[in-house]
Amino acid sequence: MATLPQLIEEDIQRLDEALREFNVQTDATTSLIIDKGGFLIAHQGDSAQFDLTTIGALASGAFMANQTIAGLVNEKNFNSIYQQGETFSMFVCNVDEYCLLAVIFQSQSGVGVVKFFAEAVVKRIAQQLAVARERDPAAGLDLSVMNLADPQDLFRKKEL
Amino acid sequence: MAIINQATKELQVKIVYYGPAMGGKTTNLVQVHDHVQTAAGNKGKLVSLATSSDRTLFFDFLPIEAMTIKGFKTKFQLYTVPGQVIYNTTRQLVLRGVDGIVFVADSQYEKMPENVESFQNLVENLNSLKLNLAEIPYVLQYNKRDLPNAAPVEYLEFLLNNRDVQVPSFQGVAHKCEGVFETLNMITRMLLQKYINQGSTPSA
Repeated sequence: MATLPQLIEEDIQRLDEALREFNVQTDATTSLIIDKGGFLIAHQGDSAQFDLTTIGALASGAFMANQTIAGLVNEKNFNSIYQQGETFSMFVCNVDEYCLLAVIFQSQSGVGVVKFFAEAVVKRIAQQLAVARERDPAAGLDLSVMNLADPQDLFRKKEL
Repeated sequence: MAIINQATKELQVKIVYYGPAMGGKTTNLVQVHDHVQTAAGNKGKLVSLATSSDRTLFFDFLPIEAMTIKGFKTKFQLYTVPGQVIYNTTRQLVLRGVDGIVFVADSQYEKMPENVESFQNLVENLNSLKLNLAEIPYVLQYNKRDLPNAAPVEYLEFLLNNRDVQVPSFQGVAHKCEGVFETLNMITRMLLQKYINQGSTPSA
């Protein structure tokens, strides 16, 4: 399985910009780019009232589960899921082999406009991720500052 | 696979707790959640998608940040899989993007066939995702060591840790939080070591 690209400042700026514009176009509350493994990659909009890390993990799981169900009923054209709520709704759609776009929006807005503009923003996101993927995956990565010999750096149990 | 965000100096890593049903995978996460010492805001909520009888249905999920690793924010996402045989498709979904694995074995003699079957199932599910266990950091935890019918550790080692390369293994009594942090810290250290090695690889 191929790995996700390392993202540099420029990637994040472009992804953020794409999400910001998308939020304005659709009046979305929050939009997120998530990896299909459940990681949150980028987000824009209101992040105070939602636990975006958990939403990312669950949205990814829900999308993948629904995709599997679609496959079991021989549906090959599976691309998105839509959770309709009373206050907020959520739309999750495929970006590329590795990533998803999740959009939280006020339910009164309706999903139509989100679906319409998602088509374009998904292309922009996929393009940027492709650019990142083509870069040298080892470039600039330096984790050697981590001192792994020091166990205090890792998880510590609370003293009771 | 792990996400490395150079812009924010963030490394996100996914660790999956795997093993037979009722072996203590969820208990490990609950203990980490209850006992980990973190700065405010570094520990997320423990989310359990479970049945009404508290059996894991989809997965348990605990996002957590390691303490201080010199400028790098390392975010760990801990998952469990449902152990019951019927949920194999779900296990495959949870394994997607895995970076490290903790295999939680049940030490009771009568659970040995389930341990072996679950380990074999792990290998097969990784293969279905085009992953190879030999290339993924993993550790073993022999849980339920406090039970009178616990098999000797040597026997568990013979059954589960007899591949070409032996991996670290820990004895655990997860409900008392024994062995839980030792296991987590070892898989964490192995994962970070892997990325350091990758990072120091000269580019082509």
